[in-house]
Amino acid sequence: MVFDFAPVITYFPTLLKGVGVGSLVAIAVALMSIIGGLVVAVISIYTKKVVSWPLRFFIWLFMTTPLLLQLYFLYFGLGEWILIPAIVVGILGLGFHYMAYNADIFIATIKSVSDGQYEASRSLGFGHWNTILYIIVPQAFIRSIPQLGNNMILMVKDTSVLSAIGVAELVYASQYAISVSFRPFEFFMVIALMYYVINILMELGQAWLERRTAYRR
Amino acid sequence: MSTEQSTDTPMVEVRNVHKRFGDLEVLKGINLTVNRGKIISIIGPSGSGKSTLLRSVNHLEVIDEGAILLDGVQVNRPDMKGLAFERHINNIRQNMGMVFQHFNLFPHLSTIDNVTLAPRKLKGMDKKTARELGMEQLERVGLAEKADVFPNWLSGGQKQRVAIARALAMKPKVMLFDEATSALDPELVEEVNRVMRSLAEEHMTMLIVTHEMSFARDVSDWALFMDGGVVVEECTPDKLFSNPDQERTRNFLQKHLGNNH
Repeated sequence: MVFDFAPVITYFPTLLKGVGVGSLVAIAVALMSIIGGLVVAVISIYTKKVVSWPLRFFIWLFMTTPLLLQLYFLYFGLGEWILIPAIVVGILGLGFHYMAYNADIFIATIKSVSDGQYEASRSLGFGHWNTILYIIVPQAFIRSIPQLGNNMILMVKDTSVLSAIGVAELVYASQYAISVSFRPFEFFMVIALMYYVINILMELGQAWLERRTAYRR
Repeated sequence: MSTEQSTDTPMVEVRNVHKRFGDLEVLKGINLTVNRGKIISIIGPSGSGKSTLLRSVNHLEVIDEGAILLDGVQVNRPDMKGLAFERHINNIRQNMGMVFQHFNLFPHLSTIDNVTLAPRKLKGMDKKTARELGMEQLERVGLAEKADVFPNWLSGGQKQRVAIARALAMKPKVMLFDEATSALDPELVEEVNRVMRSLAEEHMTMLIVTHEMSFARDVSDWALFMDGGVVVEECTPDKLFSNPDQERTRNFLQKHLGNNH
């Protein structure tokens, strides 16, 4: 077997563009799923069932069905009535999916902040919602960083699934190059390596954040 | 609370307060008056209701009957509901400093931010003024050099002193201490007691629930012994600790002082 990496080099700019699109999606999804997950967690812990239960049901739907099915449903299913650009569907689909998982983390960490913290804040004169905002949520967020980091690493890998609805991320970007070069092994090797590097960078970032916040727990 | 009450209005008044947890009545008609600049200590066995009483004063426990007044303003307001009551109680609490057994410092904030968060967010104080105020309070408890350190780096005694500074930063009319030294290693108790003594010298009005009998005796103007949800006996600390009238008080003190000395 002879390896030929020349086509990979030729099409490397295309692959890099794929990394760019994938990163853009990943950043948008990270923001949406972390902020959204926090909001969902706060609402489902601190509001009445009329508000929190429909939200929990919605989240539960995203946790119990496959990501690929969700993307097909949003893109092709809803596409019968409304055509949303693939990249937007990709961000929304992945965003809701990971919002559900992140909300689960935040629910656990919010509940882990002791009642004493709540009482101390109230005793100073902070109201219920100000206490949640200034005291409970920041502490819960710091405690969530390790698990959030894991989720976000999973999410970055899942951006590859968006190739199924035609989002031009890394895997999708390679498909044309493979179809003209007939070198799938080399391309997938290099792509795997690129994911590996991105992952290492993310793990380093997570470790750094954990170190920076360790003494604040 | 803007209008200053006349000086003979008691700072804290507890009138016929009842509190039940389910079928268990833990406060059975408590009356208590704390005058301006006075220090009152409450002692008693665990389960006597003394902590519940203190927590009721700033409404961390909701009482079932009776009234609690801070500087002539009623704290519990069964007639008020929802947001109106929330605003009312937040205002009241800004005038009461509370110190907890387990410190409850905010671990995500530095020492100085622990002290200045409430003045900044609740009184709209700018950062610079708040820092000056915060440093002043930290100096008062002898921890100015720890301003930018996080609570996890402090000893228990230091944590409790920061907690006191945090409460003082709101310029409270009264300080409530809920077994402030009970969770501390014996060698750390004294540094907290020293801070509390210095507050006493500044004529801070204080209501203290404590297990430290000798401290209570030294520092208080008036002392109460509680048991089974009632005030069994109240008098000057000298009399309470050396010559109490009630059998229950004598038994408690014998057991307690016997254990400690």
